[in-house]
Amino acid sequence: MMSENVYVVSAAMIPFGKHRSSSYVGLAVSPLIDALRRAGIGKSDVDAVYVGHSYGGMMTGQRITKEIGLGTIPTVNVDNACSSGATAMHEAWMAISRGLADVAVIIGVEKLTQFGGGTLPLSPEDREVKQGLVMPAVYAMRATRYLYESDAEVEDLARVSVKARKHGALNPFAQFRQEVTVEQVLAARPVADPLTLLMCCPTGDGAAVVVLASERARGRLGMPPGVRVAASVLHSGQVEEGSRDMTKPEISYESARDAYAQAGVGPEDLDMIELHDAFSIAELIYYEAFGLTGKRSAAALLRDGKTTFGGDVVVNPSGGLLAKGHPVGASGVAQVAEAFWQLTGQAGARQIPDARWALTHVTGGGTAGLDHGACTIHIFEAP
Amino acid sequence: MAGARGAGGHPVPAEAAVSAPVADLASDGLLDTFPEGRRLVGTQCDQCGRTMIGARVVCSSCGSREVSRVALPATGVLYSFTRLHVGGEGVRPVGYVDLDDGVRTLADIREGKVPLRPDMRVELGVDGDDWFFAPARGE
Repeated sequence: MMSENVYVVSAAMIPFGKHRSSSYVGLAVSPLIDALRRAGIGKSDVDAVYVGHSYGGMMTGQRITKEIGLGTIPTVNVDNACSSGATAMHEAWMAISRGLADVAVIIGVEKLTQFGGGTLPLSPEDREVKQGLVMPAVYAMRATRYLYESDAEVEDLARVSVKARKHGALNPFAQFRQEVTVEQVLAARPVADPLTLLMCCPTGDGAAVVVLASERARGRLGMPPGVRVAASVLHSGQVEEGSRDMTKPEISYESARDAYAQAGVGPEDLDMIELHDAFSIAELIYYEAFGLTGKRSAAALLRDGKTTFGGDVVVNPSGGLLAKGHPVGASGVAQVAEAFWQLTGQAGARQIPDARWALTHVTGGGTAGLDHGACTIHIFEAP
Repeated sequence: MAGARGAGGHPVPAEAAVSAPVADLASDGLLDTFPEGRRLVGTQCDQCGRTMIGARVVCSSCGSREVSRVALPATGVLYSFTRLHVGGEGVRPVGYVDLDDGVRTLADIREGKVPLRPDMRVELGVDGDDWFFAPARGE
């Protein structure tokens, strides 16, 4: 199969937060303009637009792009819950790598303040949602079982949040920029035992945009070198009617396996990871899923500082979903923006020295019988 | 024209058959009365034998539509649980119960004198139209 090299040539985003006076258009239009400008291209150079969102309603993408007169070309709106933005990225990567497009714009955007607070609205048609299931309960049950099966303690769940906030304090794009202590995390309002409010990602609004280009277009249009997309993997969940190990999510294990194979690198090669820490327990489980450590030894990795600045691999240098925020459809694209900035030396106070390889990971959950509905992993190589 | 074959040798029917919608909203509740008493509703595939939670019309394992309504066991093991402090009034314990036939169900959990822990035996309780699981006798 024909396969072109694909590059992220620019990125832009607004700080995640509660932007109550901005619509989906208002959230996304500035980073869209900035990303095109930083790529050094005009709107006539764009072949296709892919837009990830879950709650934007009809024609969210077209509502945004028409504001700058970017029309006629294909605009594809993508919903895959928390994987929406990264799925849009995957679709754009497929089109360019197969030679069907040369330049694509990927927009991730979400406005969660429209719901006025509370947990993420899930499909009212789902059997378990009808029974009252909410996302914090799913992750809390993962946490209960993980703490039961391992030596990890509830303090380790708090340490994930402490690290996320420490990283977020360095990131001007983060929703939370104040550091917290283990004691503060444990004393916060309980949401779903053993998870407290500070172990849960916040509600917020956000938008991130990246421009993807083929090697050919990069040369023809004189774009910056950018970072190479070394792997782009999208998996869907597989139903299980019986017992399922909630501490070993097969969808993330299998996506990571395929992404490593596609990129020709392994966990030991990575300088940074942006992973789906929607709730603090997720980070521990994903250390194991990505092969950073063996089964049930994630807490030791965290305690030993291996996953913060100065460690083996910096996990969520942006602050992750816990500190940077998690406007659902925007998160996958924001992770790519973080990887792009880290691999091109533009990450400011949170810059990882000489970062060469980055992995980004989002899932999308809330469906009975599935661990998650979707999982997207990308691996990037510095220029 | 019965027996006609198109490209690749696939049979070409005279007229496209009409697919029917599945009335999956017709029976919503998971609790029903069976000869053995009030039990959670399950569905067993007549072809491959897979058992699933709820009233289903297609087997999620083999895709067969030959399925039967069955009563699920009233006992099982608590895989995991949480006490939910959001989304309603007060504190609501919920958990995943692995029933004795291997089917997993989400359930409200009623706490008694024994503290909840993963892998403890639990049994179905019914309170009017509400149902829950509670630690089994002997726990």
